[in-house]
Order: sequence, then structure tokens, then C-alpha cells
Amino acid sequence: MVESFTLPLRPPPEQSERPDTLPVEIAQINNQWGSFREVNEEVLRAKIAEEKARHGVQQDEEMGEGEQEPGEVDVTERREQLYKRRLEITQFAMLVAFTPAKPLESSVANQSLNSKSHQETMLALDFISLLLSKHAPRQAETSMSPLLKQLAPLGTLDSDLVNPPPRPESAIKDISTVSRGWRIQNFEAASSKLLSAATRLNGEIESETRYWSEVLAIKDKGWKVCRHPRERQALAVQYGFIEATPIFRDRGLASLRRAKDGSLILDKGLLPTGARHVRVRVKQGNQVFVSSTPSGGGASDTDPIEHRILQARDSVFEEELFHELVREARAMAGCSVTTRQNLVRVPVSDDMEILLDLVDADTHGVGLEQNSTQGDNRLADGLAHAIRILLCFAHRQNLRRRTQLPRPLTSIRPTTPEYHLLRPALAYLQHLSHVRWLKSFFSDIHSVLQSAGLDMPEWTSNSYASWKKSPTSPSPATLEALVENFLRPIESTFSGKLLTSRGSFTVAIRTNLSSPPFGTHYDVSLNLPSVPDLKSPGRLGLKDEVEAAITHLLLLDVVSSISSKPLPSIRNASNEQTWDAVYPHLGELILPNTHPEKHKKMKITLSRHEITLKTYIVRSIDGIGRGTTELRSHNAATHICKFPQSSYGTPAAQEHSSVMDFVVAETSKGHP
Amino acid sequence: MHELLLFASVPVHQHHGLLQQLAGLTAMQPRHALERRLIFKAFRKPGLITGRVGGSQDLQQASAGDLQRVNKMLNGGMFYTQVVGPVSEKDFAPASKSVSAPDADTKMAGMDESKPPTLTQPDIAHVYDYDQQAWKLEFRDIPEAATRSAITTRVMASAALPRGDVEPSMNAWGYGFVTEYLVEGDVFIHNDIVIFLHRVLHYPTGEKEPREPRRNLPPLKKMAPLEKTGSYVLQASITVQDGSNQETMKTASQHLLGLREQLKSAVRLEPADRLSLDTRAK
Repeated sequence: MVESFTLPLRPPPEQSERPDTLPVEIAQINNQWGSFREVNEEVLRAKIAEEKARHGVQQDEEMGEGEQEPGEVDVTERREQLYKRRLEITQFAMLVAFTPAKPLESSVANQSLNSKSHQETMLALDFISLLLSKHAPRQAETSMSPLLKQLAPLGTLDSDLVNPPPRPESAIKDISTVSRGWRIQNFEAASSKLLSAATRLNGEIESETRYWSEVLAIKDKGWKVCRHPRERQALAVQYGFIEATPIFRDRGLASLRRAKDGSLILDKGLLPTGARHVRVRVKQGNQVFVSSTPSGGGASDTDPIEHRILQARDSVFEEELFHELVREARAMAGCSVTTRQNLVRVPVSDDMEILLDLVDADTHGVGLEQNSTQGDNRLADGLAHAIRILLCFAHRQNLRRRTQLPRPLTSIRPTTPEYHLLRPALAYLQHLSHVRWLKSFFSDIHSVLQSAGLDMPEWTSNSYASWKKSPTSPSPATLEALVENFLRPIESTFSGKLLTSRGSFTVAIRTNLSSPPFGTHYDVSLNLPSVPDLKSPGRLGLKDEVEAAITHLLLLDVVSSISSKPLPSIRNASNEQTWDAVYPHLGELILPNTHPEKHKKMKITLSRHEITLKTYIVRSIDGIGRGTTELRSHNAATHICKFPQSSYGTPAAQEHSSVMDFVVAETSKGHP
Repeated sequence: MHELLLFASVPVHQHHGLLQQLAGLTAMQPRHALERRLIFKAFRKPGLITGRVGGSQDLQQASAGDLQRVNKMLNGGMFYTQVVGPVSEKDFAPASKSVSAPDADTKMAGMDESKPPTLTQPDIAHVYDYDQQAWKLEFRDIPEAATRSAITTRVMASAALPRGDVEPSMNAWGYGFVTEYLVEGDVFIHNDIVIFLHRVLHYPTGEKEPREPRRNLPPLKKMAPLEKTGSYVLQASITVQDGSNQETMKTASQHLLGLREQLKSAVRLEPADRLSLDTRAK
């Protein structure tokens, strides 16, 4: 009831008529009753008596009529009365009609009567119209005569109830009770409205205070709070990266809206709210290693606002990262990098592949490939960190480029080059695999030579030599200089000494994916004084070539060390004998004999897995012949010695524990 | 190359605030710049320009247009040019030391033994080396008379000069040294626009005006601003590679006008009076 009634706060309606001013009243009284001078007690008494008498008569009349009303007024009597009155009217009309004019024919009389009554009616109509024209001028105007319109302007006549009949006591009482009731109701409604408005305002104040205190808290934490450039009334917080690509730079702005309770809502518009990040998977053989989830992902609306801002910032960073990765991957199609809608596939080596994709934070843990142990994810984690650091570096580079003096304006817009994100990482991995291969190759061949009893000096490696300059050179002045190192070509060197004195070799591996020449190159240089006119092979691109070159070098080394070794002469000490390296590049040596058909020849083959020595007797005069002219004797007395000695090897091979033993033994056999 | 410019005057009390506003607008820290500016005036070497001397035979072979162009180059208007050399604050003599150095030595000889070396060491480390000073020749034409837009437009060119003493080579090219002054200010980069908030400093007036570029710089504190109140000039400029390309000229001027709109509440950027930027030598 209270709610449905709605007029509490309106001003009270004005009193219909103000009491007249005193002079007007006095004038009225003078008019009505005569001058005040004539008023005295007797006159007043007489008046009162007169009034009383009149009232009494009226009351009597009323009483009488009231008594008559119910019973005596019949339908027939009423009709009779009606007829009587009608007759009176017509008689009056006749009287009026006939008094000025002479009685004429009935038709003429009738006509004049008619015109008279018509005139009367028109007058009445005009009168009513004029009266109504105050309240409904348009409507009343239509029924007014033109004459009246000319004479009196519209709305000049008004009617009012003068001297209303007194209301009965009970009615007045009723009215006063009802109005009091209404008033009470209205007051109640007004007070309740005011109270609810007050509580609402209180709540509003509280939520507003909370909103602003939270905004201030954000500002105090160091976030940039500003007015939203597009919505003038809204506040916004900037969390993005100024140096990012324009699309992502503009995304780093979210308006701070106020919830009902005053808490902050981070309104990012149509952007998805969930946290996303770039997932790095390294596929090695059948195993898949997944990078760990960045911390702080998956903030919900209940988290503090700071958390949500951080998450928004991380998301925009990750999205930019993926965008740039895809952009770079497209440019790297030459390195057989493939992109799909939401996946970048980077093949590193035969059994290794990197998969990059953008995933939602919550779907990360559910993956089926999460079967690897935690420790194995180091590479994936490292990669994930590396690409992020490189993106930050690219941002800094952008800032540096932006603050340089600009080039003169031309009609050609310079395109922004792709960032170096994948390339350094890929270069590192490629380099790593090459270094590992070379290391394993060296250790293989080293163990082969060791097992053959050749005392090969240990080789040394200096992996990532290009990154390790900091100890000697002054440490990089800025963070940028530190990261810049990783964008340069990666270089590792291997060096070692050979069996022969003053012999040495150096292998440098260079990987460069940022600028041509792309890919990995080996630079093999060697120094073997015992073999003259030997040239370093220089730059090699294939692993097989490198393996062949180094194996060949070591073969030469072994040959020259055998040929230079003084052999113990068995029969006569004066005539010292040595193996003569006839074809060092083929690993062939010869032990000259006095007998022309009993030259002994030794052939050495060296590979990654074994070293084989084979001796036999040739029949040629000086034993220098090759191939068909080698003239191997029929009973060549072939001896074979292999290292490392296989477990199922021939017992003959087991006789000699080293190459030199075999050589010595063969020498002594050569001179029976 | 063409240069489009807008200028504004910045009273000294507004300087700090404007620096901050510009740093916010351009999202970069101001880069402080100190530049020596040497003014050279072209002179006509007597007897050199006779038009038909020397290679006239070749010139007659060439087309008439070429001949005309060469004549124009030789006899055309002559200009003042500027040689700009960036310096750093360390290049200036330390305040009040260079002047009173002998006095201080005699007076304080026995007083403080440890202090002089520590003070002199940085001085030795940063002695201004005039022979290693880098220079850049900057030519600016009188602004174009066309009232195309509310932007000053002029032809410009700059070229790097050899380090060290530029006067002999400038003389050889037909330029005589007039005077020099110093410009101090901060540079901001806003997309393609270079915003240079600077003021001109004069060398101390006490000493006699030298006839050649100074080999030593006085203390920076002693330099007096040309404008006595110390107010600054805000100069926003864009260089355009090809001034005949209407498209790029239009974009460049739109960029500048956009900047003017952005800075409207802070400063009023306006084109300069054309004749005040007249570089012609009469």
C-alpha cells in the first residue's frame, strides 16, 4: 500500500482561493450590509432573529419535503408536475411571442415563435460556450457565434461555486479522518524512501571508497593508472609493454570498472580472460619433455586485483611471444620450420624436434605426455626461458631504435624485421648436437688408439668459446650487451696434440643462423711437420667430411710415428732398419729386405671403431708397387692385428697388446 | 632533403614541467645535448668566378641546361652555414678552477696534500681535445615562401666533416669563420618527429672574440643564455627525403600538426617568421 502510493515529496496543493484582502472584504461588507456606522446591537439582534427565522423555515421546508419525498411523489404526479411546468414554459413563450407582435395566422405565429426560441437557444448556446471557453477553448470556439467572438475574447467568463452549502458534520469528520490517514501514509512513505535513499547512499559511499582505495593501492604498487583514452569517464591501468608490436601494445590497457560492492573489475573488453602461455615441448625419440608452467597462471576473479593485472600482463606477453615466434618461423621455412594455426614445429636434428604452441593455463596439466620425470625438462625449460629473455631483449632493442634520430621520411615504410627468438635457440641446439657428435667421435677414436697402445695425448675442448670471453674482457656494461652475445655466431674449438712431436690439430665449429652463411661449419686446421706438403682442409660443412679428414690425419700421424720409431735390430746392430712410409696417405709402409722379393709391407686402416694392421710380403723389386703391380707373394704370410681386441677375436690377434709390439714382432719376423 | 618545422617559446618556469610532459608523450627519457655551433659565411674569392674560364670547352659540349646549372652553382646566392659539433659536459673547463688555478696552488700548497691529485685526475682524464672534435656541416635554406600550410618548410642538407680543425677546409671551400655559440637542450624522438627543447648560450663576454674556433671551452657555468631570462625554444622537426613528393610532405606536415594538437594544452607550436630564418649572405 505504502509502496504503491507515490506522492510524498510533492509540494502541498495550493489553497483554492486565498482569503480576500481586508479592503476588499470591507467593501464587500459595505455593499452587502451597509455602512459600519449603522451597525449597532439592535440591528444585529434583529438580523440574528431574522436569520434564525429563515433557517427555521428552511429547515421546516426541508423537513417537509424530506417527509414528502419517499411516499407521495408518484410517477403519475411527477408526470403531471412535468406537464404543468412545460405548459408554464410554453405559455410564457407564447406570451413573450405575442406581446410585441399582433396575433397573426397560426403558421406565422408559429414561425416567429420558432425564431424567438431559436434565438433564445442560440443565446444560451453562446453563453454556455463562452463559459466553457475558459476550460476548453478549442471545443467551445466551434459553437460560438461570430458576433460573440468579436465582442468577447475567449475565456473571459468563469463560473464558480459561491457560498457552498454546509457539509454535514459527519462528512467533514470523515474527510478530515481520511485526509489525515493519507497524510500519515504519505509521511510514512516519504520517510521510508528517505531512509532507503540514505542506506543506498551509504552503500554507495562505502563501495566508492573501496574502489578508490583499491585504485590507489594499484597505483602505489607502481602500475600506471590513467584515463581511458576511448572512454573519457573510465580509469584504465596500463600493464602492457610499450615497446611491443602496436597490436599488443594497445592491448596492454584495461579499464578499471567498479563492481556493485566497490571491488575492481579488470575489463579487458572482448579479449579472452583466461591465462595463456607458450608451451615448449622437446620431442626426443619417443619421449616428450614439456616446459614447466609459468608461475602465477590461472588467476580467478576472487584473486586480488594485482594478481589479475599480473596475469593479464603475462598473457599479453605470451601472446605476443607466440605471434613473434610464428612470424619468425615463417621466415625460417628454409630451416624446415613449419607452422600451423597454433603450432610451430622446429626440427633440430634427426631425433629431436621442438614443438611450440600457445595453450590455456588450465589445460596444461592434463596432457597425456606428462609421463617424463621432472628432471628431464631442463632443456624445454631452458628454451622457454631463452625465448622470453630474447623477446624482452627485442623490446629493449625497439626502445633503442625508437629513440635514435629517425631517418628522413620517405614514401616507403620500413618493415620491422622479425625478432631473433627461435634462431639463437635453434643455433644453440644445433651447435650442441654438433659439439656432442664431435666429442663422441674424438672419444671413440681416442679409445681406439689407446687400446692399440698408442699414447695419444688428450684433446681439449673449449665449447662455446665465443660466449666465454667475459673473464678476460671487461664484463658487459649492460644487460643488452650480455644478451647480444647470444645473437652472435656460436663457436667452439677442439684442439689436441698428435703422436709425432710438434704435430697438432684444431677444429673450430661455428654455428650461425642470424646472418649468412647459415648453418654449422667446421674449420679444421692441422699441423703435421712429419708429412710435408699437407694442407689443412679448411672449412667443411658435413660431418662425414670432418670425420674423414680427422681420421685421415690420425692415420698419417700413426704411420709417421711407426716409420719414425727406431726398431731394435735383431741380427746386426749396425744395420738399423725402419719401416718406410711409402704411401702414407694410404697407410702403407714397407720394410725393405735385402732379398728383392721379400719386402714386407704393412697396411694400416683406421676408422672410428677400429684400427687394423696387416702385413704381408710382396715380390716386387723395391716393393713400391701398388694395386696390381704390388705383386703380393703367394705365401704372403699375412698377419692381421686389430684393435680394440674383440672378445671373439682370433687368438693370433691377442698375441700383441699394442701396435708397437706388433710392429716390432713383424720386424723381427721379417728377418728370420 | 626538406625539413618541416614548428617552434614554440618556453619560459624558464615551464621548462621542467614541459620536459616531463614530453617524456611522457614520447615515452623516453630526455637525451641531453650540448652542441658547439660555428657560423661560417660564404665569400667570393676574387677572380675565381668568371663563368667561362677553365672547363668552358667541356661545358659547351654539354647541354645548355648543364651549363646553366654550373653557372648557377658558381654565381648563385651565398649562404651562412653552420658547423655543428657535439660536446659533452666533461669537455668544459671545471668551474672556477681554471681561472684561479695558480692562486690556489700558491695559497694552498702546504695545506692539503691529498686533495689536489684527486681533483686534477679527472681533469686530466677529460681534457677537451679540439683535434678529435667531430663536426657536421649543416646547410639550411631560407624557408619556402609558399603559404601552403601553417608549417615552416625549408631545404636542408648535412654532411659529416673530418675531425679536428675545420677552419682550413672550410676556408678552402670558400667559407669564412664568423662566430660561434653553444646550444644546450634535450632531444626527444616522437615517431618521425625530433623534438629539441633548447636554448642558445653565449661564450663569456669578457674575453676578446677570437677569429677562429676556440680550442678550449670555458666553464659551462660561465656561459650566458642569449635570452636573458633563460627561456627555451621548442623545435619540432621532420626531415623528408624527397621534398618534391607531395605525398610524403603531406604526411610529414600532418604528423607535425598532430603533435601541435597534442601539445596544445602545454605550448603553442607555430611556424617561424620566414625572414628571421634567412640564411642568405648579402
